[in-house]
Amino acid sequence: MNAAAEIQGEALYAERMSKAFGGLKVFHDVSFTLPPGGLLGVIGPNGAGKTTMINIISGRLAPSSGQVRLGDTRIDGRPVYDNAGRGLVRSFQQTATFSGYTVSDNLRSALRFARRDLSVLERLAPLLDQFGLVENWNRHAEVLPYGLQKMLGLTMALATQPRILLLDEPAAGLEKSERSNIDAYIGFAQREFGCGVLLVEHDMELIRRLCPDVIVLDGGRLIATGSPGEVLNRKDVIDAYLGGGEEDDDAEH
Amino acid sequence: MTTATATVSGYLKQKAPFFSGHEWITLGIVLLAFAIPTLTANPQFLSQANLILIAATAALGVYIMLRLDLMSFAVPSFMAIGGYTVAVLSLRLGVTDVIVLGLAAFLVPALCAIPLGWLILRLKGVYFVLVTFVLTEIVQLLLFEAAPLTGGSNGLVGMPAVRFFGIELWDNSHVLLTTTGLAFAGFLITAIFTRRFRYEFAAIEKNDVLAESLGLACWKYKAMAFAVAAGVSGLAGFALVNMLMTAHPTSFAPMSSVNYITYTIVGGKGSILGTLVGAILLVSATDYFALRGELSPGLFGLLIIVVTLLARGGVIGTVTTLVRSWRGKGMRPLADGAARKAPKGGA
Repeated sequence: MNAAAEIQGEALYAERMSKAFGGLKVFHDVSFTLPPGGLLGVIGPNGAGKTTMINIISGRLAPSSGQVRLGDTRIDGRPVYDNAGRGLVRSFQQTATFSGYTVSDNLRSALRFARRDLSVLERLAPLLDQFGLVENWNRHAEVLPYGLQKMLGLTMALATQPRILLLDEPAAGLEKSERSNIDAYIGFAQREFGCGVLLVEHDMELIRRLCPDVIVLDGGRLIATGSPGEVLNRKDVIDAYLGGGEEDDDAEH
Repeated sequence: MTTATATVSGYLKQKAPFFSGHEWITLGIVLLAFAIPTLTANPQFLSQANLILIAATAALGVYIMLRLDLMSFAVPSFMAIGGYTVAVLSLRLGVTDVIVLGLAAFLVPALCAIPLGWLILRLKGVYFVLVTFVLTEIVQLLLFEAAPLTGGSNGLVGMPAVRFFGIELWDNSHVLLTTTGLAFAGFLITAIFTRRFRYEFAAIEKNDVLAESLGLACWKYKAMAFAVAAGVSGLAGFALVNMLMTAHPTSFAPMSSVNYITYTIVGGKGSILGTLVGAILLVSATDYFALRGELSPGLFGLLIIVVTLLARGGVIGTVTTLVRSWRGKGMRPLADGAARKAPKGGA
């Protein structure tokens, strides 16, 4: 097998991104860097702006100020399909497949839209097999169990051979036993395809296991960065999760 | 690990045929219409066949847009553009070659659809429906008001017969041949177009947000579909004007869009065969029950309600589901095929 990892990617830079919907500021001045082939965890309580952040980076929402760059190219406010063509591909929190289509056709669609060769699926075969997608190859996506649908959606994103993967809570809704699939998935993406991964996740065990670095969002602000071990022991981070003092951040605007 | 790779490689060798059975059957039925004039000279029958083919071709405009989950009322507008293009070309400029006229009847509406599409394709759902309906009203108004070009309320009357390589196609059976040729062109274009981009269209229909996130520029496909749907409607407009030898605004009444939608939905929107079968059944029924005029839109509306509630796959969808359950459930179609599109409404 061609295990040669193609680490040639560019870093993803978020620079002072802010987003306001009318007068409501949901996102203030967030900056971070995802190095090529790196893995950065994003955590924060519900409503912290994590999905908004993925929407901004992928191009679905334009930031109110600040910018997003992929290498030297400014990509914020560009159409989603343009950014996907540049190698910046996201996954969705809910299951995202084309219903009425088989597993096979879902994967073929992903390859077609990303203008990739079918042989990518041969490279993905071990992963497809591990998730149980090979044995369900000709079944319709919508009749698969939730966990399988979710893995199918994630595999479709990976099949486009992105340089950067934006994963929006990949483990949400998966059973404990299925969560090791996410480890395998991220490992494979980094090892085989040299993907940089931005991992938004609520599962702290998963974050601790996988991420060398995390950033913490609360009320649309970046409140901490560092390794999971140190960040998760910080008082302000614990307060953010347990609903401590800083909560009315949103309310004052 | 290697076995998984081998299995996947094996699966990748399976290829779905370009046309499914439904496309072949549909094109075959339309081709058969070429034989009608040799079988009968009954003017009633010939005119009935004409009406069915025109209705079916027009309804293809609805079928194409439904691939993208867009309900279009704009068919009569583009029929009018196609029909009047032909009338103006033949009356004012003396063009009678059926191939030149056919090309014009396709291309002019398709070109008009590009700027219109740029304006309205950003709308979804009910808003798209509403705007396409308003479009038909605007076109009506233009046809009446732009009298120097369109003849206003008199229409454009007395077109010369069209010619095919110099042969004049003037009598009833010739008119049917022209209509059949235009219908076949419309069905062939639609079949090739919808099959060529079936993955793109299905993805946009099911989940356009996901399709874009994988790199598909959805707007390009919507714009293309809108233009091709307009072109095919234009061919139907040509056939209608050719049959009536007149281009008149009332031939392209806004309410007729309901009929075209009904043909496609009652026949079965999941397959091109549905559009043809819907047109055959409903145009015949309209004639049989003599429900011309005011009653038919109302009854068609009722029929849409019944189909939507009871058999969303329409005639073809329901028949396909039944056939499949007779054959036994073990035989799921493998990669592709018309049968796959049907079960949506099976319940």
